[in-house]
Amino acid sequence: MNKIGVFVCHCGRNIGEPIEVEKVVQTIQNLPEVAHVEDYKYMCSEPGQNKIRTAIKEKNLTGVIVGACSPSLHEITFRRTVEKEGLNPYLCEIANIREQCSWVHKENKEWATLKAIKIIQSMIEKVKLNESLFPIGIDMIKRVLIIGGGISGIQSALDVANAGYEVILVERNPSIGGHMAQLSETFPTLDCSQCIMTPKMVEVGQHEKIKLYTYSEIEEVSGYVGNFKIKIRKKSPFINWEKCNGCGECVEVCPVMMGNEFDVNLSERKAIYRPFPQAVPNKFTIDKRGIPPCKSVCPAGVDVQGYVALTSQGKFKEALELERKENPFPAVCGRVCTHPCESECKRKEVDQPVAIREIKRVIADEEKELPEVKKPPQKEEKVAVIGSGPAGLSCAWGLAKMGYKVTVFEALPVAGGMLVVGIPSFRLPREEIKKDIEYIKRWGVEIKTNSPIKDPKKLLQEGYNAVYIATGAHKERKLGIEGEELEGVYYGLDFLRKVNLNEEVKIGEKVVVVGGGNSAIDAARTAVRLGAKEVTIVYRRSKVEMPANEEEIEEAVKEGIKIHFLATPVKFVGENGRLKKMVCVKMKLGEPDSSGRRRPIPIEGSEFEMEVDTVIPTIGQTPDLDYLPKESRIKVIEKWNSLWVDDVSFETSVPGIFGGGDVVTGPSTVVEAIAQGKEGAISIDRYIRGVDLKEGRKKEVKKVEKIELPKKIKKEERQRVKTKEVSERVTNFEEVNLGLSKESAIIEAKRCLSCGGCSSCGECEKVCEPEAIDHNLKDEIIEEEVGAIILATGYELYPVEKIEEYGAGEYEDVINGLQFERLLSASGPTEGEVRRPSDGKIPKRVVFVSCVGSRDPEHHFPYCSKICCMYTAKHAMLYKHHVPDGEAIVFYIDTRTAGKSYEEFITKTQEEEKVTYIRGKVSKIFKNNNNELVVWGADTLVGKSIEVVCDMVVLSMAITPAKGIKELTQKLKIQIDEHGFLQEAHPKLRPVETLSPGFFLAGCAQAPKDIPDAVAQASGASARVLEMFSKDKYLHDPIVAEVDEDKCSGCGICIPLCVYGAREYEVKEEKRIAKVNEILCEGCGSCVAACPSGAGGQKNFKDTQIFKMIEVVLK
Amino acid sequence: MFEPKIICFFCKWCTSQAADLAGTSRMEYLPNGIPLRFMCSSRVDIEHILWAFTKGADGVLIGGCHPGDCHYQNGNYKTRRRIKLLKKMLKELGIEPERVRLEWISASEGKKFVRVMNQFVEEIKQLGELKV
Repeated sequence: MNKIGVFVCHCGRNIGEPIEVEKVVQTIQNLPEVAHVEDYKYMCSEPGQNKIRTAIKEKNLTGVIVGACSPSLHEITFRRTVEKEGLNPYLCEIANIREQCSWVHKENKEWATLKAIKIIQSMIEKVKLNESLFPIGIDMIKRVLIIGGGISGIQSALDVANAGYEVILVERNPSIGGHMAQLSETFPTLDCSQCIMTPKMVEVGQHEKIKLYTYSEIEEVSGYVGNFKIKIRKKSPFINWEKCNGCGECVEVCPVMMGNEFDVNLSERKAIYRPFPQAVPNKFTIDKRGIPPCKSVCPAGVDVQGYVALTSQGKFKEALELERKENPFPAVCGRVCTHPCESECKRKEVDQPVAIREIKRVIADEEKELPEVKKPPQKEEKVAVIGSGPAGLSCAWGLAKMGYKVTVFEALPVAGGMLVVGIPSFRLPREEIKKDIEYIKRWGVEIKTNSPIKDPKKLLQEGYNAVYIATGAHKERKLGIEGEELEGVYYGLDFLRKVNLNEEVKIGEKVVVVGGGNSAIDAARTAVRLGAKEVTIVYRRSKVEMPANEEEIEEAVKEGIKIHFLATPVKFVGENGRLKKMVCVKMKLGEPDSSGRRRPIPIEGSEFEMEVDTVIPTIGQTPDLDYLPKESRIKVIEKWNSLWVDDVSFETSVPGIFGGGDVVTGPSTVVEAIAQGKEGAISIDRYIRGVDLKEGRKKEVKKVEKIELPKKIKKEERQRVKTKEVSERVTNFEEVNLGLSKESAIIEAKRCLSCGGCSSCGECEKVCEPEAIDHNLKDEIIEEEVGAIILATGYELYPVEKIEEYGAGEYEDVINGLQFERLLSASGPTEGEVRRPSDGKIPKRVVFVSCVGSRDPEHHFPYCSKICCMYTAKHAMLYKHHVPDGEAIVFYIDTRTAGKSYEEFITKTQEEEKVTYIRGKVSKIFKNNNNELVVWGADTLVGKSIEVVCDMVVLSMAITPAKGIKELTQKLKIQIDEHGFLQEAHPKLRPVETLSPGFFLAGCAQAPKDIPDAVAQASGASARVLEMFSKDKYLHDPIVAEVDEDKCSGCGICIPLCVYGAREYEVKEEKRIAKVNEILCEGCGSCVAACPSGAGGQKNFKDTQIFKMIEVVLK
Repeated sequence: MFEPKIICFFCKWCTSQAADLAGTSRMEYLPNGIPLRFMCSSRVDIEHILWAFTKGADGVLIGGCHPGDCHYQNGNYKTRRRIKLLKKMLKELGIEPERVRLEWISASEGKKFVRVMNQFVEEIKQLGELKV
């Protein structure tokens, strides 16, 4: 038989007024099993609690209901009260008749009273069937994780560590210190921020109980209070911090400049950096943003950003060294590469792409003498390469660098492949080709010219361990029309080869070149230099489809070559075996063909004649593998007559024989051939060592995702190369493009935006004595176990870009509070002088605008950011100290000075420092015709609108939660409010904890606040953690699920439902049933609702209780 | 005037908090719903809802956390599936499925809580008394 005691609280007038407590008492009194009903003004007070205790004692109550405020406030209070009197605390329930009744139905007293009665009745029914429960004691790990290393995180860390428990402090920047480290002086004392904080930072760094993980983020959190399992991602700084001694030599040599976050982008820093001199840990970090677009698109994987960066510092030798790590043909590529890097260069979005190829040429040309190479120890194995074009030679070079003995067999009398026989010397001088080939030979590569190879397999039999076929694509495509054999018809490749090999070629005066590719242009320009009077190019499509480089077409036109589009020859007509004229037909463009270009269609009846004495058809090249013996079984792709190789390993159908370059791809580019040659070398090396050919070959390229263009970029034209005058060109084969000068190359290189951050150029490694730098250092995942977590993730300022009326970030001299702090700081971008970011002049009139983004429910945030009134006054005061003859004007709405000594500070600012305070909002900030900043505001106290022309504006931007808070709280499963600030358990009484057990809060992460409040709250959070750790065990709520073993059918539906893994099978008396692990069970009840046999129950929240509660409410 | 009898099953972590917030903010709303606090909306069994209808409820309102934010990871997804099935069942039983409403209300959404309560009461008023 139950004896329930019901205690109704008036809560002053909160419940007492809207609800007729008397009526409630009377109704409840008459209910069965209710032994005692009482009401009181403040049940939670001592006398109130004593009433409950007295009633329990005197009437032997078996259960207690308190009708009062929300259980989230005082359930614990009342449960403690009844426990003191010997009644199990779980036999005490709260009926929420305030927040969910009296406070929301004030206008409906009758209903409010009725509802209160119903709510109390439902809890009475519940408590009737409650059991005595005892909290489950869990062993807890007495260590705390603190997320965030600003002043709040630092304070909490020191509190807990000094109490003797271990702390793990995780901070995502390379140094702790947070925003407080960026401040110059703090209000109201004007203490130097660094001076008061650095001792604490050092203490944290040296404390034996604090494990500091900076440049780290939380990857995963699992477990429950007392037993959290944390995975921390320690991001790689690419520097081994155990070895780094903070000397700073590396910074001097780094060529990459990036925005300095510590100075809020008012200055630049190098890619290798230390956030500020007092950083803890006092180590350097390398900022890598990923592979920049230029490098990611280069087939040879050249470190483009790297050598461009080195060039910008005038380090030509180092730049060339870096280039040669991946590409042995810098002089060649610097002249003829098709530069896919330039097409992807992000600079093109500002003005034009960086002239990367021209820079490459300059660094190659600057070298007066080839360097000595350090050959590796020689291996026994030898490799044969067939073909000395870029693919063959790159493969040979790659293998020679690994120590293999390589012999290159070249059929022609000269090495270089298509470089020599295809590209004319006015584009690519022979000396430059020789230079690059000489460099390759220094690695020990032997080249045998005049040595054609017909049977690659034979080479294997002769003792070579592997063979690389790189015979290129030297066979001409024929027109296949009448008259091809006439004298005067010279096919293009043949023509170019003869000229390039200094053989005699006779051409006439009226030359026509058929074709639209680079070779056709080359042939035309060669013809000009051989003395032709008239050279015309005839191409079957239009200019848009022409595959030749723009630059080549331009130069051809400059040299007087005409281009006849949309025509093609159908017949050559001769006289006495000599060509006399050419019959062509006009073309029109139809639907696109397989190359994506529109198909040319002959126009019926449009034939016309051209008088010509020489025709050079240059319509395409294909590989020629007819030389391979049939028995070699080397597979050839018949359609293209190209060599078949595996996509990844470049092995042919015969093991030990590999191939690459144009012979595989068909006519392609030099850099593509180089890339294939290098891959061939890797494959051959693996083959010889007997290692898997394909594993790990297709690398995931981590390209930089979002490249943000820096805000202040001044447009700069791309440096132009000088070319030879046309009159001086056409009589000889000397190089036409004169290239950039050294100085121009440096200027051009400075235009690079350093998209990838650090470009791995390697200069820092050269000067690091402790050898701490490691560009291959990977991120580390660290696992830790803790019992409690404190979140001190801090804030960031609302961006100026969001405020359109104030210029949306366009005006350099309209800055935010943190930027002004940096200007005031002695260690800042202007060494403590207040100067305008735009031109460095000292501003004589500065306007300070309060409440930007705050207190603006319609457009931005409704709340007040708390600290701005004070820091604005401080800024104005400090500005007047720095610039005594300057004028400071503050536009305010209210001035909130609620801290200790704050009011006195503001008064001093206004009266002694003579800062002008104008009450009114600023409606617009813009620039007038004299490029001066204009502020439109109002002076509401006199009722006038105001216009102020000034030199600088400082905006008090709203305080918002730190970036990434949403993702972090989703990982931790804790709540944030509508603005993203962490949700405290109760806004008044429990401000340092969340509703999720084990998670505590400190600092601006919870709400905007100043430093004294942040420090106080941090200590508050540590106190709660220490309270937790002071107990032996963590007490786990016993409202867990349970299983009625008789009813359980072992169906197993409940087991996978539990996200905590608290459900498992157990075999009892030969019957398989479900079992609940009470330590893991969190008490959600979802398994209970799913049970089809009704075997599922929840302690003190069984279905029987719920049915009764529902019934009594609806009566 | 027909005053609907509505019983509410609110999850402790989100909707019940939102109801508390509505209270702290002193927002007024129609009083027809009597709240019962559950640990999670997934504790709500179909049987509870049907029992409520047999005992005189004209409407049942269930409140839980937004998908992705459930305090118990995915309890609310289970609730969603169950209520969807229930609504199909109710049709067969001749009860308007609109008499059961599942709403996601987070702890900071006091205003939404008030809006939903008022809306639901009005809807049930339109549907009239449920005669089971």
